[in-house]
Amino acid sequence: MLSVGLESTWLLVALPLFAFTLIVFAGRWLPRQGAFLGVLATGVGLALLALLAAAFQRGGEGAFSVDWLRWAGFAIPLGMHVDALALVMLGIVTSVSFLVQVYSLGYMASEPRYGWFFAVVSLFAAAMLGLVLADNFLVLYVTWELVGLCSYLLIGYWYERPAAAAAAKKAFITTRVGDLGLLIGILLLFRATDTFSMSETFDLAQRGDIAQPLLTVIALLVLAGAVGKSAQFPLHVWLPDAMEGPTPVSALIHAATMVAAGVYLVARALPLFEAAPLALFVVAILGLVSALLAGALAVVERDMKRVLAYSTISQLGFMFMGLGSLGYSGAVFHLFTHAYFKALLFLAAGSVLHSLATQDIAQMGGLLRRMPWTGATFLIGALALAGVPPLSGFWSKDDVLHAVLTYQSPAFGLLALVATALTGLYVARVVLLAFFGGPRSEAAQHAHESPAILIGPLVVLAVGAAFAGLLAPLGVVRALLDPGHPYTFDPGLAVLSTLAAVVGLGIGWAVYGARLLDAGAIASRFGSLYGLATNKFYLDALYQAMVDRVVLTLARLVAFFDRRVVNDMGVDGAGVVTTAAGERLRYLETGKLYHYALLMVLGVVGITLIVLVIG
Amino acid sequence: MLPLSWFLVVGGALFSVGLYAVLARAHAALVLIGIELMLNAVTLNLVAFATYAPGGQFTGQVVTLFVIAVAAAEVGLAIAIIMRLFRNRATVDVDVVDEMRW
Repeated sequence: MLSVGLESTWLLVALPLFAFTLIVFAGRWLPRQGAFLGVLATGVGLALLALLAAAFQRGGEGAFSVDWLRWAGFAIPLGMHVDALALVMLGIVTSVSFLVQVYSLGYMASEPRYGWFFAVVSLFAAAMLGLVLADNFLVLYVTWELVGLCSYLLIGYWYERPAAAAAAKKAFITTRVGDLGLLIGILLLFRATDTFSMSETFDLAQRGDIAQPLLTVIALLVLAGAVGKSAQFPLHVWLPDAMEGPTPVSALIHAATMVAAGVYLVARALPLFEAAPLALFVVAILGLVSALLAGALAVVERDMKRVLAYSTISQLGFMFMGLGSLGYSGAVFHLFTHAYFKALLFLAAGSVLHSLATQDIAQMGGLLRRMPWTGATFLIGALALAGVPPLSGFWSKDDVLHAVLTYQSPAFGLLALVATALTGLYVARVVLLAFFGGPRSEAAQHAHESPAILIGPLVVLAVGAAFAGLLAPLGVVRALLDPGHPYTFDPGLAVLSTLAAVVGLGIGWAVYGARLLDAGAIASRFGSLYGLATNKFYLDALYQAMVDRVVLTLARLVAFFDRRVVNDMGVDGAGVVTTAAGERLRYLETGKLYHYALLMVLGVVGITLIVLVIG
Repeated sequence: MLPLSWFLVVGGALFSVGLYAVLARAHAALVLIGIELMLNAVTLNLVAFATYAPGGQFTGQVVTLFVIAVAAAEVGLAIAIIMRLFRNRATVDVDVVDEMRW
């Protein structure tokens, strides 16, 4: 029996990192540009993870570290902390990235930069695994930026397309705004506690050793980072545009793992938020606003992948709501189930895209008959997303709602249920428009099922999406996270949330399935609201205007200063003065021997006089 | 024994004569001789000071020997330069040779 201790967890990070290095430097001499290395690394990682989970079962959590930087009396450790939360995140990242890479073997096969894709995905896996293992804020921040970099590289994978290049920039810069907050928060925290270590910091915060207004400010700054990375209101604008990247990337990074990093950060730093009730409430409010806003946007969006993107924002909003209501384990459990059903939905959407070459749901229709595997798996994912029992989303969403309803005011709870109903509505819309009814375009008419390499991962994920939720009542993943608060099944809540989902689904069916109501009529009836939603509540336009007016004006000012002052006076100035001085002083060089001799004598006499006079 | 100041006066006079030659004469060989006079004035000072210094040290004499050796080498070099100058320009007037300017 092979026995592996938790101290080997670092291998999980090292494997994909090694794959990345190998593909980048040696990929051109390897078959298929070395893509198999990425799959191999995460595959071995998956096996390793099983051994690690067994070790965790035996010995509980562990912390390991080596000193990274050391100077007089102070050291920054490069360490990892393997606890239940980290282990769950490791499971999500490793398994989803393995499946997504297998899928990509088929999906990306015709791309010229095939190896590059797998290299960056491997780098992403390494960075993301490092992120969830990090036990101090500095390492966390480094890996945090690394996953952001990978996101940027992969959104801009087709950088020949202006839209993709712009989307990559938008994603990077928008998350940067939040990251700046996170960095300032980490530095303030270091000033207050003299340590980067997470556990020590949280202990200090809980004991009240950090002064109150400062603690709230720090928590809000950390939240800013989380909001940027998890695409929550008001920094959500980058995620829909990020759908310009290849679909497997959308599934892995922009649905299952990286965008969950914000939720992970808040979950990890929850002791900080607990000690700062105001910041905790802001978490919940931002989550609610994001869930409602993105839900509404998903209802009017026509691009299949963008519908899913808005749905991701909305579901991450649920997780924030749960965290803001101190429902730590519920939120992380929702993160866990969401990773599988959302990755499934994206990969299924990719399969549709692969066949139809369009993402517009208005051009689809009747796909269930032509693509039975894709359709069936998408349906499972969609129903899990809507929270239909007994699929996974039902259990985890109820877990979140349970925390929200017990901790927040009734009005807040009601709005959360409205968000649940909205989920049902957009799910019904996208499923009915894409997979049922008659085909509405030539491409949909001739749709065909995708090859087995695409279908395989879909089926595996569909099993996960269907049954992952049952782990909660069985007491597996959910109980691991928070043994103190076991999963409680609340029949009243279950009925309530199912009702909300069914209402949403029902309205969707009435409008898009049975055509009892006309979508156009409803749109014109609520003209102003519809206009707001189709224009994304004018938030994108507002940000664009702000960038144009404020940022670019400032940039022009800085550019002017740089050109006129720094360049013309500073850099060129030194040269101009030197040349001008040389031009005038060169006539001192007469070539006459006695001139030089005389000047030397005068110099010596002068120096002698100075020495005599001064002393 | 003669007082130290006598030696210094002779050294100063010698140095001034040499300086005058360097500044005022145009013939390269005469400039060279001026430099030699200045050097000798300095060595005279060194020997004088060494003799009058308490403790009977020989540093001054030793340095003087060095200066004489170096001066010999320098004269060899300088005369070679003057010879080349005469071969190329048919003159040894340092006022005329002033192309290395500006």
